[in-house]
Amino acid sequence: MSAWRWWRQIGRWGSFLGFTAPALLLILFLIILPALQTIVLSFTDRQGNFVGLQNFAQVLSDPDTFNLTSFPPGPPPWGSIVHNAVWIMLHLPLTVGLGLILAVLLDRARGATFLKSIIFLGMVTPMIVGGVIIRFLFDENAGIVTAVLRAVGLTELGRSWTAYPETALPALILGSVWLWVGFSMILYSAGLATIPRDYYEAAAVDGAGPFQQFWYITIPSLRPVTMVIVAMTILWELKLFDIVYTATLGGPGGATMVLALQMYFYAFRALEFQRAATVATLLTLFTLIVGLWFVRTMRSSE
Amino acid sequence: MKRIGVALLVLMLVASACVPAATPTPERIVETRVIERTVPVEKTVEVTKVIPTLTVIGPWAGAEMEQFLPVLRAAEQKLGVQIRYRIYRAEDLSQVLPPQFEAKQAPGDVIFMWDWWIRENKDHAVDLTDLWQKEANQFVLQPSAVDGRIYAVPYVLFVKPGFWYKKSFFQKHNLQPPTTWEEFLALLDQISRIPGIKKAIISGDGVGWPLSDITEHFLITFGGPELQENLIAGKVRFTDPQVRAIFAERLVPLLGKYFSDPVEWTQAIDLWWNEEYGLFFMGNWLTGMVKDPNDLGVFTLPGARGVVGGTDWAFIPKYSENVEAAKQLIAFMISKEGMEIRAKQGGKLASRKDISPDVYPPADRALAEALAKVERPNVPDLDDTVGGDWQRTFWDQLKLLWVRPQALDSVLRTLDARFPTR
Repeated sequence: MSAWRWWRQIGRWGSFLGFTAPALLLILFLIILPALQTIVLSFTDRQGNFVGLQNFAQVLSDPDTFNLTSFPPGPPPWGSIVHNAVWIMLHLPLTVGLGLILAVLLDRARGATFLKSIIFLGMVTPMIVGGVIIRFLFDENAGIVTAVLRAVGLTELGRSWTAYPETALPALILGSVWLWVGFSMILYSAGLATIPRDYYEAAAVDGAGPFQQFWYITIPSLRPVTMVIVAMTILWELKLFDIVYTATLGGPGGATMVLALQMYFYAFRALEFQRAATVATLLTLFTLIVGLWFVRTMRSSE
Repeated sequence: MKRIGVALLVLMLVASACVPAATPTPERIVETRVIERTVPVEKTVEVTKVIPTLTVIGPWAGAEMEQFLPVLRAAEQKLGVQIRYRIYRAEDLSQVLPPQFEAKQAPGDVIFMWDWWIRENKDHAVDLTDLWQKEANQFVLQPSAVDGRIYAVPYVLFVKPGFWYKKSFFQKHNLQPPTTWEEFLALLDQISRIPGIKKAIISGDGVGWPLSDITEHFLITFGGPELQENLIAGKVRFTDPQVRAIFAERLVPLLGKYFSDPVEWTQAIDLWWNEEYGLFFMGNWLTGMVKDPNDLGVFTLPGARGVVGGTDWAFIPKYSENVEAAKQLIAFMISKEGMEIRAKQGGKLASRKDISPDVYPPADRALAEALAKVERPNVPDLDDTVGGDWQRTFWDQLKLLWVRPQALDSVLRTLDARFPTR
């Protein structure tokens, strides 16, 4: 290797480090090191002694995490891990599906911008406020949802949803669909704008109907957008906190407890920081799975 | 390079999971003032004196805050300090204070907080033993102490006296406060039959209280104040037959029939005041939250020998820059003069013995006089005293019991299993 090439190589690395070092240092000291410290904390006791998986065993055997005596299809509480899973199972398809439908329906429709802005309002609402709104939406006395249900004869569902263990979790999930669907709708709208119109025109010439065009052109073309929406939504669902905190505080009877809220209660109510760190580590693990899946999927589509 | 980028992305995703989502820290600065003023000293010399600005953090907002601010204004005049008041609930402070204390910082000079929490964090609190001992025998409550050192002092008294009713509503429907359990049940029946009434009693819900207050009132009435104290001390378990009998025979049979579902408590006040419900269980701060306090009446469950009385605890963080001024402020707040100013506003009772009932507004005076006849007007609050995560569990399990009374045994087992001493 000539001296010139060697110096060029050094220069490239110097530029790379020069531009990335400030951000990398911030990430290192403010995110990665505290995260590693949290993981270490989850393997120690209050005195700082290494205790292996003892904290994990205690957290996982806590009925707030896994309630084996009341498991689906029995009534809640089922434990925070199951609640988070239920949240993902219901909230994810609803937000992705509704977001796609809304984006397609409002694509090039008159007044679409205005309607999209209205739908997107949920997304810009602070989730703390969103939780309070959800609580009142499903309230027996003040709620519009319960009022409508009573008006159509569903009196049993006209009571306060957040007061009952059977309906509290569905209330939060449905409410959070309203808050989050703007995100998927906006991303899908942006994705739709990138699909060349030629595809549809060619398909129409070949005799494809609207449904076939949607199924064979729109959905495959939106696959990268869908990946982003799914990954971001799952991450949001895993670290849910604020909505539950203000709407139900995890109740009644732990029926809406989620992992992040459990972590908060361990840390700031029980002052058991090791257990809180354990929940944080579990959350990290779940996030890691989603993150790896997302990266692998993106790489394979490239 | 691509691999480095991918690795960084994964690391950022992973690390983001360790950072909890935004948590609520509601805060409202009520007043901010300049901290320097030129003060004339003698006739010919002027010096610039730094006037300390004290920050007081308390849980009171709205009407309760308006009742508290006159005390601070009087303290400013008396002590020559500037005071600003910030609103933080104890639930939020429990999250805000630990990292601040670790950084040797404090968001306020005088902070109102849970007694148990201050004891847990006594290393960060100023020793107030000397301040308290000057007038220790004047108070109806004991200070918050660890190993004989006092770290927080009680402020004004709140009580949970029983079921509130509108006198005009009772007169209109010819109802009488009950004197026996049977009369109480008959009253609930009468109220339930009044057209337009949804349920006899509206159940307020904050984050689980006042359901806990109702429950404690039943425990004290049918088990005596001693039962409450033994439960707090862990000497009696929640699965004890005596405790279970009170729940099963007295409280649970009323839940579905006469008590409403939990309703957000400020909303509950309006619904009750609009006569959609007949009775409302709440602390005495209710007197400052209704349109006409003179229309308020209250009765305890017949036979109650005691009612829960509690207070908000004031402490000074070690990291305050104005510890001496903060001590003077606390001394003023709990002095006879400071306490009288607060008592005049209504909504709270003085925790000093030397405050005349004549100081109170009419509704609070009637309550103070009624409480004088109660054997134990200051039974410690069960969940406030036990504190910690059990307090949240207690609230949460009662919310469950209220809508699913058949879960009684599961609720009692959970309360017992999670009690701190188990």
